[in-house]
Amino acid sequence: MARTLDLAARPAAGANPRTATSHAKVGIVAAIVGLMVVAITTIGNLVIADSSPVLASQLAWPFGLGTTGLGVMKIGVAVVLIGIIVRLWYRVDSVTQALTAIVGDAARQPTSPTTISTDIGPAKVSANPPPPLLIHRMARALWLPMLAMGAMALVIGLIVGLAASGQAADSAAFRGLSAWAQGTLFLGEGLLLSGISFLLGSILAGLREGGGEVQAALGAPVKTLTMPTSAKAFIALMAVGMMAAIGQFIGYAVVATQYAGNAAVFATNAAWLGPLREVALGVLLSGIVLALYTISRVLGFQFTRIRELITTAA
Amino acid sequence: MSTQTPNRPSTTTSKIPTRAEKRPDEFTVVASDQGLGLNLPQTMGNRLWAPMFVMAVMAFAAALILGFVRSNAIATSADPAMIAQLGHVTTGVMFIGFTAVFSAITFAIARILGVFRSEGGDVQTLASGHVQTLKMPAAAKGMVVSMMMGMMAIVVAVVLHFYVAADVVGSSEAALTAAAQWGSALEGVRRLGVGMHLFGIVLGLATIIHVLRFQSIRILEVAKERSASR
Repeated sequence: MARTLDLAARPAAGANPRTATSHAKVGIVAAIVGLMVVAITTIGNLVIADSSPVLASQLAWPFGLGTTGLGVMKIGVAVVLIGIIVRLWYRVDSVTQALTAIVGDAARQPTSPTTISTDIGPAKVSANPPPPLLIHRMARALWLPMLAMGAMALVIGLIVGLAASGQAADSAAFRGLSAWAQGTLFLGEGLLLSGISFLLGSILAGLREGGGEVQAALGAPVKTLTMPTSAKAFIALMAVGMMAAIGQFIGYAVVATQYAGNAAVFATNAAWLGPLREVALGVLLSGIVLALYTISRVLGFQFTRIRELITTAA
Repeated sequence: MSTQTPNRPSTTTSKIPTRAEKRPDEFTVVASDQGLGLNLPQTMGNRLWAPMFVMAVMAFAAALILGFVRSNAIATSADPAMIAQLGHVTTGVMFIGFTAVFSAITFAIARILGVFRSEGGDVQTLASGHVQTLKMPAAAKGMVVSMMMGMMAIVVAVVLHFYVAADVVGSSEAALTAAAQWGSALEGVRRLGVGMHLFGIVLGLATIIHVLRFQSIRILEVAKERSASR
């Protein structure tokens, strides 16, 4: 487990790239477990739909358990992303070895720092690998705390949700507990998605660092893509999504503590807090789309640079 | 100053002749003399991630506005049937956003896999002229199937939400109870749809690990092939 979580577990020099890691299997197993929990809650929802009337207290347990199941699946996503980061280091070592054999000293040339334009976007040229950006350092430091806090919030939300399901549907106690459960569960989901976003940021950091390392090892000018607009938008969406996730939690806390005794005011506020909590996750997911797009662009840039280096040896 | 992009084959799927080639490890590949470009899911991923992303952002904004409208309707003690209708419509629009954003994520993963396939082929073409391309792994096929199942589940739920909203006529107890019963059933279906989407994403990311491992091995083989041919 410690090895699975250790992002710095870079393979030793000369490590065999055939070495298999367990991240994909662990992630898929977590996703299957989460999906099974979700399927159980779907059956629960269908059974509850047969009752007349449908009470809000009946829906509390499938909501809590189902949201937790989706959280487990997100943890599976995170584990596979960690596996990708580890694999990228194997790739750096393999590409360095291969290009050293193919290119030799042909790529070695003096470098003066400058900015160039490429097919993929503007890039900086330097003699040495560029230092990590602030956001990359943050990503590497914060992915684990975010995931850990997210998992804890989900567990707390699930327990509170189960406690709510034991209360009378039209009681203030139910409304209060239900609001706490919804706010906490979706805060947990938001934290998990932020952890995933930081892991994607760590992948981008690894691509930047590793790409520089390969070029520097060859003595070639180090070309590094400047931060694309999509990466900036990713950071902005992640920040907005996380703020919305915290905002909905605060909103639910206020409603639970101030308005649980007033059914009408409670319902009015719950009507906008529900969409807000879902939009918070939607915004975080939108940021993830842009992070993945950025990764594909950076990979495209790196492959172009690899071909360029091979061409110098032709 | 501009970098020179070496001449490279088209990155679209083409009729390049391939032959089966056995490797001593677990990777199943086809061999060719040049890169194979993108396959169909990767081409779709390239084209569709952005429209899906835009659709998701628009749907989320619309759903949030509808949520505030419904909140206002409750505060002003509007017709209970209208409140129930707005509840179903808000959820329906919100989940158009969710299926769109999860599809965008899946398409973006397919795009990454497309870069590996297309550009990896181009690097091999340039370095040794002997290209090995991974056959689509089972996990990648699972990603496509899982995404389609998730999308279908959510689209069915969304259509039913709109149908139920249109069907809530009058504020009779029976109509409101039926709307609540549909709400419970569709919540479960939606959640299962989200789960299928997430499962597809996990499989897609696992495919990236598989491809990275193959390419890390293959680039070393390419270097050996090149030195042997000189």
